[in-house]
Amino acid sequence: MARIAQALLKRLGGMAIVLALVVTVVFIIVRVTPGDPAAVMLGSDATPADIAQLREKMGLDAPLLMQYGQFVLGILQGDLGQSIFLNQPVTTALAARAEPTFFLTLFSILIAVGIALPVGILSAVKRGTIFDQIVVTLTMVAASVPSFWLGLILIQVFAVGQGWFPASGYGGPETPFFERLHHLVLPAVALGVVNSALITRFTRAAMLDVLGDDYVRTARAKGAGEGRVILKHALKNAMIPIITVIGLSVAMLVAGAVVTETVFGLPGVGNLVVSAVLRRDYPVIQGALLVVAAIYVLINFIVDMLYILVDPRVRL
Amino acid sequence: MTTMASLSMPFASGLRRLFGNRAMLFGAIILVIVVAAALLAPWVAPYAPNKLSIINKLKPPSITNFFGTDEFGRDIFSRAIFAGRISLLVSLGVVFISTVLGVILGVAAGFFRRLDAPISRLLDAMMSFPDILLAIALVAALGPSLTTVILALGITYAPRLARIVRGSTLVLRELPYIEAAVAMGLPTWQILARHVLLNLASPILVQATFVFASAMLAEASLSFLGVGVSTDMPTWGTMLASGREYMNNAPWLMVFPGLAIVFSVLSLQLLGDGLRDLVDPRLAKES
Amino acid sequence: MKKSALVLMTLAALAGTSSLALAQASDGILTVATIGEPPTLDVMQTATDIVLTIDQHIFETLYTYDAEWKSVPLLAAGMPKISEDGLTYTIPLREGVTFHDGSAFDAKDVTASLKRWMAVNSKGKQVAGIVESLTEDGDHAVVFKLKSRYAPLLATLSQASVILPSEKIADTLTEFVGTGPYALKERKPDQYTQLVRFDGYKSPEGTPSNYAGKREAIAKEIRFVPVPDANTRVEGLISGQFDYADSLPVSAFERVEKSGNAKPVIFRDAGWASMNMNMKEGLLVKKELRQAVQVALNPNDMMMAAFSDDRFFSVDASIFPEGSFWHTEAGVARYGDGNPEEAAKLLKDGGYDGTPIRLLTSRQYEFHYKIGEVAKAYLEAAGFKVDLQVVDWATLTTRRADSKAWDIFITHSNFPGDPTTINTITDTYPGWYVSDQKAKAVATYMDATTDDAKKAAWDGIQTVIYDDAPLYKVGNFNAVSGVANGVSGYEPTYWPHFWNVSPKK
Repeated sequence: MARIAQALLKRLGGMAIVLALVVTVVFIIVRVTPGDPAAVMLGSDATPADIAQLREKMGLDAPLLMQYGQFVLGILQGDLGQSIFLNQPVTTALAARAEPTFFLTLFSILIAVGIALPVGILSAVKRGTIFDQIVVTLTMVAASVPSFWLGLILIQVFAVGQGWFPASGYGGPETPFFERLHHLVLPAVALGVVNSALITRFTRAAMLDVLGDDYVRTARAKGAGEGRVILKHALKNAMIPIITVIGLSVAMLVAGAVVTETVFGLPGVGNLVVSAVLRRDYPVIQGALLVVAAIYVLINFIVDMLYILVDPRVRL
Repeated sequence: MTTMASLSMPFASGLRRLFGNRAMLFGAIILVIVVAAALLAPWVAPYAPNKLSIINKLKPPSITNFFGTDEFGRDIFSRAIFAGRISLLVSLGVVFISTVLGVILGVAAGFFRRLDAPISRLLDAMMSFPDILLAIALVAALGPSLTTVILALGITYAPRLARIVRGSTLVLRELPYIEAAVAMGLPTWQILARHVLLNLASPILVQATFVFASAMLAEASLSFLGVGVSTDMPTWGTMLASGREYMNNAPWLMVFPGLAIVFSVLSLQLLGDGLRDLVDPRLAKES
Repeated sequence: MKKSALVLMTLAALAGTSSLALAQASDGILTVATIGEPPTLDVMQTATDIVLTIDQHIFETLYTYDAEWKSVPLLAAGMPKISEDGLTYTIPLREGVTFHDGSAFDAKDVTASLKRWMAVNSKGKQVAGIVESLTEDGDHAVVFKLKSRYAPLLATLSQASVILPSEKIADTLTEFVGTGPYALKERKPDQYTQLVRFDGYKSPEGTPSNYAGKREAIAKEIRFVPVPDANTRVEGLISGQFDYADSLPVSAFERVEKSGNAKPVIFRDAGWASMNMNMKEGLLVKKELRQAVQVALNPNDMMMAAFSDDRFFSVDASIFPEGSFWHTEAGVARYGDGNPEEAAKLLKDGGYDGTPIRLLTSRQYEFHYKIGEVAKAYLEAAGFKVDLQVVDWATLTTRRADSKAWDIFITHSNFPGDPTTINTITDTYPGWYVSDQKAKAVATYMDATTDDAKKAAWDGIQTVIYDDAPLYKVGNFNAVSGVANGVSGYEPTYWPHFWNVSPKK
């Protein structure tokens, strides 16, 4: 138990360092903007006085190191700055858009894992059969499809053609939760299917790896049922790489969500970022980047911790 | 280290294995076609990509226009071919930048103990950003153009290569002959250039192929979102973005550029997989 | 306006009145899909179409436009009393009007609001330059004293010059309180702007005509939902998600028509597309080269590519469309089928050295981009080199402000009530159209007092515009929008409005 606590502390420290670097990278990205960000933000109608005022408000006149200090201080206080276009705190803007993105990501990962685990396992078990070959081919193809293209096709077939799902949006002010989820079906499928490819391949590979191991052979020799061998012995040991890749996929899903949300008109974080780019709303881009990266670091941390639970042999 | 195995493998047997892998062969053939079409675009494309013919707008695929025409009456087949140039150019640029950055960071982290921790943490941090999101932010900061897209994606994918390179370097530096070279007092740069980099070629090649594929998808996404390269030459992503309006009446505007992306990316993935199998026979055995 | 347009409008107006007779306040909600999120609801700061569309339900101006785009009273009680010398305007105000917060509307609110408008709004700033004083005349009248005659005064008081309670006026508005038929309830950026019926609304009288006449808030609620993607607006309309969808791509006309769930609505001569040229710096400071651009282009092909079918556009050299009071053929030149030879000759005369023309366009409006693509082909045929830069709208507006960064940009505008409020006529508008003959022609217009004199002066202005070529008029376009079946009383206007509209039962 003490070892686990120690490992926890060590990884917490690592996470803090990575987070600090993330903050720095985000700060640098926004500062490389050529020209005066204040002028760019205010657009063509701005007077020099307006620009000077915004520069001051944004603290752009301060020395770089001080600006960095203030940026970090703000983040520690949960202040990600003020959106120029929306005229509200970035945190508020992000919070207002968290729901669709959260559920989109959740459903896509469920769909992806729901497809990938059984298919990957079966494919490994039936290695070399037609089924296996079809799976290998399909995963290859799925990994090559741009999710926004798949999304457009799904809209065309199931929303426009069949009318089973709404083509876009997330409902109005009083739309019940269930109805909002209905809006998420197509985007989640588009995203989930594309991302299932990678997880399927990893599951298959991980399973193949352990199926050849001694203890699985031993279990078989002892006369354990095939299903029991696969689920209890093989899968348990294949879980570590699978968990890793699922964790990684979450980050890829968030990236995919940026495009998918735009295609489906979902008012999520991804959509916000794309609009922010078109609106030159740098604080929003900066804030979204930071939050998403932080969530990813957190997921990684959780995945790390899961390793320890799944497989006590992991070096602590 | 399996890298060595592949390098010492006789050329003929390598070739046999190359063609023995049907999927890889298929990928290689598609890639050759795509690259050849892009290189020879002015001769291969039946029409100029921006040649307007308003009377012939939105015509379905036919003998004269294999992929149909778009809203300006431009030939989609010709445009798709020319678009391949931009997509390949961007992806190659991305591969180049990310490889250079990745090798520098990876070798530095793998070979010099003291640099390992800081570089690795930086790579962790960089990899916490979803690729498209990081690229969007960089493009927004630098202003959209061909160069910035290449630069942004190059930076985005550099950590992927750096990780692989670091891993391989860590293994390499423990090998007896490199330890011997160090002990003999050979200059570090010579060790790196002669012994380390050469042996890294295969894992880099494999990873670069996958980065190539990812870059192609990412470029299409950025162009689709309207934050990508802005040239008056078409890209597959921008073709999809403008074809969207005609999804109902003229689906060919969307289908063909999309298929072009799928096939190009697929060819790279197949190739990358095949290469990895060649380099790492342990994995080959399993598939 | 074309005859058919007039018939259409009259029919729509009749339909409007007949439903008015039956209309009762309803519990229904109108969900309106707009082309994007308004950056703010402060229309004085940002008088863009989307802000004007939403704000006209919340705020009102002293005057507004009727079907002939003449300014008629809205919050004003009548037309102004103008002194002999044309320098003093006394504007009477309606009594008994209240704001959404319950406070009464009076002259103090008008002077306070218009002073802010003259300080922050781009048109307002121009007006400020010729206003000697603006004062209250009792509680229910205000007086404008001008330094010089200014023919477009009422037209400028009909648009972004909205009246707010004097107490709510601030540099940055935080409360959006007006006198309009609907009051702001909630705004969630990128999700919706929710307006609710204002029960204390006092409407002007008269038959509805364009924005003028009786206004009745029938729907209980209007929700403006930003849907930047045009196809999404189409699909949302057809699936019943939206009651009204603004600005639909013409390619969707048949699909909406056949859907059985909604009807497409054509608003004729909604606006005009133009290619504005940089007269301050770069290649096109030379008049010959600007005229070469005029000669080289083929407006019909540009409009055909952009709007796909002649139901949706018309090509007309007159800056104002047929049927409009300002329609004129005066001075029209170099507007035709695209003549590469003649253009090449002008290029030679102008000493064109092969420097590429930087043609800026954006995809915010697809037709801008499409016009750009076709223009490029025609300009190249004439011997120009063209660097077509397709950027996003924010980049375009930033870049066009910098005279070093571009040669031509593509835009569009509506047909304003007063011809001299066309952007290009202002010296400072990107393009920087400064010329002696223009200044003279505009001065003649400003001095004109009768409609006939104004019309003659406008003929003169259009003539110098064709000669100086600060812009190339491409053509007029019709706007397509869609109304869900079951929604009645919608009358198309440039900025769609939803008073007098009955929602689905």
